[in-house]
Amino acid sequence: MSGLGFGAVLLVVLLIVNIWLNPVRFAPRALGTLFGLAAPLTAAALASTPAILGGRGGIDISVGPVMGFVNAILVTVLIGQFDLASPWIVIPAAVVIGATIGAINGGLATFVRIQPIVATLGTYLVLTGLTLTLVPAPTGTIPDWLRLFSQTLSIVPLAGIALVWGLLRLTPYHGLLMATGSDDRAAYTAGVNVVLVRWLAYVLTGAFAGIASLSLTALIGSADPSIGPTYTLLAISAVALGGVSLAGGRGGLINAAIGAADIFLLQTAITYFNASTFVLEIIYGAVLVLAVAVMAIQEQWLQRGRTP
Amino acid sequence: MNWQTLAGNRVLGAIVIAIVLQVLSAWLIDGYDISTSLRPLLVISAFLAIASIGQTLVIILGGIDLSIPFVMGFANVVAAQLYGQGVDFTLICLLVGVLALLIGAVNGALSSILKIHPLIITLGIGTMVQGSVLWWTGGFPTGSAPDAVSEFVSIGASLGPIPLPGLIPAVIIVAVAVALMLSSTAYGRRLYAIGGNPSAARYALISPAGMWIATFALSAFFAAMAGILLLGFTGSAYGDVGQPYLFQTIAAVVIGGTALVGGRGSYIGTIAGSLVLVEINTLLIGLGLQPSMVQAALGAVIIALVSLYGRESHIRTTI
Repeated sequence: MSGLGFGAVLLVVLLIVNIWLNPVRFAPRALGTLFGLAAPLTAAALASTPAILGGRGGIDISVGPVMGFVNAILVTVLIGQFDLASPWIVIPAAVVIGATIGAINGGLATFVRIQPIVATLGTYLVLTGLTLTLVPAPTGTIPDWLRLFSQTLSIVPLAGIALVWGLLRLTPYHGLLMATGSDDRAAYTAGVNVVLVRWLAYVLTGAFAGIASLSLTALIGSADPSIGPTYTLLAISAVALGGVSLAGGRGGLINAAIGAADIFLLQTAITYFNASTFVLEIIYGAVLVLAVAVMAIQEQWLQRGRTP
Repeated sequence: MNWQTLAGNRVLGAIVIAIVLQVLSAWLIDGYDISTSLRPLLVISAFLAIASIGQTLVIILGGIDLSIPFVMGFANVVAAQLYGQGVDFTLICLLVGVLALLIGAVNGALSSILKIHPLIITLGIGTMVQGSVLWWTGGFPTGSAPDAVSEFVSIGASLGPIPLPGLIPAVIIVAVAVALMLSSTAYGRRLYAIGGNPSAARYALISPAGMWIATFALSAFFAAMAGILLLGFTGSAYGDVGQPYLFQTIAAVVIGGTALVGGRGSYIGTIAGSLVLVEINTLLIGLGLQPSMVQAALGAVIIALVSLYGRESHIRTTI
């Protein structure tokens, strides 16, 4: 493999540009807040990755709505209604709700065998509908400890995801997932329980989306039904930008994090110039297409070099 | 007809469900009158059916097109804006059509030549298109549709003795044309061949790149037409007019029995799928559900329908 590729180069360039434009914002003291701003998208991209790695069209487009749904449940029901604001309850609850939805998504995609994009489109609609019913308009407040997840402790949710993934890499599961994603038929013939491996990937995606919701909730400080779903397509773009193959089996969470950082830094750089959001959209689309195109050309070039 | 044939024939499944939903609506909703509710049902389904033509073709090819809502918004806003500036409407349609074909061709070319997942390419290109349109209009599009277009799609309009707007017979003609194109032209054969087995199609001397470019171009073209027709329906330009169609086109295609893995499916199924989606929406609103709950129920119904007759085969049967 050629390593991290274009996404990483873009990251370095964007980082230099951003620090040069706005040194105060990127000073070490401000890093907590900066990470807090980037954390929801980064965590959403990390969450999207396991399902995609599983291959054969594996994808979870309900990641954004899961974040919104968990946000609504945490703020209005858990904290607002039952006054259960302790981190020992809120954090596990976020993970468990996310993982449960992930288990349903995975069950639909692997056991019921509905095409993943359709299955998760179904849960996308169900979750956005339920969230809007529960919280028709932004409301509620959050405890102070949770607010820290967008300030000094903003790295904690991301570190949590990284820790879980790092531990999984020590187990055979990671290898089985990559084998399933790159060639599921070969993996199946070799005795891998392809269905179970894929199902677990969706559970992981759901659990990580639950953690991503903590970052989101910390940043917006309330329950908001409209923000969550906007993360789905951004997260998938970030995953592709970082170099994770949407065909499965190639890439990892580092790639997803790099892609998310690229998008975030692109946004901050363009906002610095006070450009309109319209220009931001054009540049963002262009960079996305350009980046995946450069990566694809690089890939084809490498393959040509390999086969004489 | 027994249950086996129903489960085996995905298109028939969608058509049966479309009819069952009509009966259910008449039974469950007080004061439901099929003769008055049929017209809005047909008109609203017609927009979805036109927007889904491209999605059907692209999915049979083995791809997916997320740029449809953006191209719809683009056509909607550009047509209104130019018509407001006094440009001839035929010329506008021509211009928008050609630009849409170009946008689609870029989608197809980048996806096939560079072997990038079309989901990302169409999303990226779509975002650029939307950004450009917003930039051009400053976010506040003006202008309106010519009366002829509004009349063509108006629910209350009638075409001579037929109590339906011109849109409905037009969609039927287009549907027959698309069905014929799929079943009896070289293009249709090649589409199914590439979708079913891309590497075998290459040995049969079918150029994948050419087919991808042509099919994505067609997809964007029909999306643009849907955008212009919606301009006639709503009366004024709206850049986000296509947003509901992002997932609805995919849902209509899948409910219509077309497999997302490519190589299988039909446009007749998509039309049935469009009817089913609009009918479910009508039924749930008729039952007094809030819009947010309608959305949630729609999601559950899509999952239920697809698990009924749209399941994929187990991995052990693919070896």
